Amino acid sequence: MTTYVIGVDAGTPALQEADHLLAELVRGLGLPEGGAAATHLIRTGTPRVALSLTVSDPSRAAGLLPPGARSVVRDEASAQPDDGASQAALAHGMQGRVVVFPGVDRLTGTLTVGEVLERSAIDEVAVLLGDPPAPETRLHTRDHVRPEWRDGRLTLLTMPAGPGRLAPYEVPDPTPCCAAHH
Amino acid sequence: MGHGHHHHDHSHDEAVELPPVLDQSVPDEALTPDEVSRRGMLRGAGLLGAGVAAAGVLAAPGTARAAGPAARSNKGGYLWLAGDHHIHTRYSSDGMYRVIDHVRHANAYGLDWMVITDHGSLQHAKIGVEHVNPEIRAARAEIDDTLVFQGLEWNIPAAEHGTVFVHPGPNEVSVLKDFENTFDGVVTDTTASTSANEALAIAGVNFLAGAVTRRRVRDALFLANHPARKGIDSPHEIRGWRDAQPRIAVGMEGAPGHQAAGIPAPHGPGSGRGFYDNSPSAASFAGYPPESYRTFGGFDWMTATVGGLWDSLLAEGKAWWITANSDSHTVHADTAARGTANDFNTVGYYSDPTYGGDLALANGDFWPGYYSRTHVGASSFSYAAVMDAIRAGRVWVDHGGLISGLDVRARQSSGGQRGVTLGGVLQVRKGQKVELVIDIDLAGGPNWSQFQPTLARVDVIQGDVTGPAADRDTFTAPNTKVVKSFEVGRNSGSVRFTYDLGAVDRPVYLRLRGTDGTRNGTGARGASVDPNGPLIDVVGDADPWKDLWFYANPIWVLPH
Repeated sequence: MTTYVIGVDAGTPALQEADHLLAELVRGLGLPEGGAAATHLIRTGTPRVALSLTVSDPSRAAGLLPPGARSVVRDEASAQPDDGASQAALAHGMQGRVVVFPGVDRLTGTLTVGEVLERSAIDEVAVLLGDPPAPETRLHTRDHVRPEWRDGRLTLLTMPAGPGRLAPYEVPDPTPCCAAHH
Repeated sequence: MGHGHHHHDHSHDEAVELPPVLDQSVPDEALTPDEVSRRGMLRGAGLLGAGVAAAGVLAAPGTARAAGPAARSNKGGYLWLAGDHHIHTRYSSDGMYRVIDHVRHANAYGLDWMVITDHGSLQHAKIGVEHVNPEIRAARAEIDDTLVFQGLEWNIPAAEHGTVFVHPGPNEVSVLKDFENTFDGVVTDTTASTSANEALAIAGVNFLAGAVTRRRVRDALFLANHPARKGIDSPHEIRGWRDAQPRIAVGMEGAPGHQAAGIPAPHGPGSGRGFYDNSPSAASFAGYPPESYRTFGGFDWMTATVGGLWDSLLAEGKAWWITANSDSHTVHADTAARGTANDFNTVGYYSDPTYGGDLALANGDFWPGYYSRTHVGASSFSYAAVMDAIRAGRVWVDHGGLISGLDVRARQSSGGQRGVTLGGVLQVRKGQKVELVIDIDLAGGPNWSQFQPTLARVDVIQGDVTGPAADRDTFTAPNTKVVKSFEVGRNSGSVRFTYDLGAVDRPVYLRLRGTDGTRNGTGARGASVDPNGPLIDVVGDADPWKDLWFYANPIWVLPH
């Protein structure tokens, strides 16, 4: 089956909203076997989060997008710096924060680092300011695992979460800055 | 220092007098040859400007006069007043307490000054900024030995939050209200990280300076709060605020509030210490590393990293000071509940707190003065003197009562001068031997967790002053490192340490920190820079009482 990568720029300001939109698109378009869905930080112009995902039929994307959103197929992406959709499509597989990837559904509860690598497409588990973890090190997933492509290598950044235990660097429910902002 | 100091009384209408060499309104021609030479030296080091002038460089110790209750620490010729510039009340949508609730606790916990800083918001700009004022004035009348400033937690356009506060007076409300309506990011919908909004933030700092110049208020200050929490205070924004008005934009929180937030669940919120649990966003500065979004020993990454962002400013010669505050909104294990008789959105505040019937263990804050303290060396017990001391950088901070007093002096190794203290600049002849004399009063008594903390070690951090950074987004200082550590291991009495700088042949600065020694390890820039620094705090498992630090603001030494 031929697959395509599309980039989407809906002007989404925050990661959590971007994750929701990405989930909707994945549900609506279906993710081809081995495909991935990711977020990309666009810092030119008004800061926003763009999306990229693998699809089998790019023509169906337009009907699922919110008003004002733009999508582009990677083969037609431009290198314009302010074109968030193109930036996302071009970065897919090389850079970006990956929300859906092979095996993500099996990364729940507490696993060992070795199990994380076996069960999913994650290539590497790294520890913030630390040495690489031993395969038997326990990793508390919090059911929220968002690795990133580092030059194409799917890497999960973790940090200590108590004695002998790691957790992903990204927490599922980060503290909003204050009620007045929301 | 050999320079003629003016022993002026800090009468409150008087601006702080500057030595002629630092006062840029005095032309070179009016200075003695020696003074011209020193001014040239200061210019060369990037140190001449309103900032250093504002920083009270060469402040004469003799200007201090004893005032206030005897219980206050009079050390090194200054009255050291403990305070907190970041406190929320029921006029914040995420707050709950009356002003007097905070003032009573702060006073009981030993604070001499405090700033009420409710969030900027549509409701606050319309209602809260006015309604909180009678509560503040009543608290001033009821509790006369804690100074209560009215301020604002400014949503800085394009950036984080900051404390803005003014000297009390007939226009305190109108200036704060005008400021909030014109420059608050939420009120004016300018929170997005765009260059237009960055410019509005600078305009806001300029507005505050204008309010002082035109004498609408006697004084105003701005300090950036929780600067690294979300990565949205870029280095060039911080430099921009500071350089626009060095007398107004004077520093940042070295340690954020919410220090109970990392207490493990179910006994605490189980979050990041300081509620620092975010990660990079589209609005954040791309260069900040993942660790910058966490605290280290309870301190913000910008301050905790030896050779990091704070040091990069000090290495430029920029006066930029750190503080530590409670950011108290809702207190850990308090039994009070938010009043619900009012609709905040229409009335602009919550009704009086009620008895909640249980311990609020998900709250992440301490009362002002309970855990975090900002100690300022003031010339008297007055609003003006507190603001002068903050501006001068005569400031050190502690957590959990780790130490009770600190006097730091840089001075010539011979000659018997008293030297200059925190925030100051020591002028010496090139090749002159210089020493740093550190006098510490140890805990000497229990803290508010009822134990007497032990100071394990004091670190002296030194860096070269290299002048203005070509890249305004610089956040490293490659020449700064820990140069000396003193083991202590005591919790009462006082200790004196002397660090010998040797013959000084280039401009340097020095700063201090100390630890209880419970969580130490290699700093973010490596063991050669910081072998025993604060460790990154564990999200969901950070007991603040088991990881105590103090930090002091810098002293510069300039040979010429």
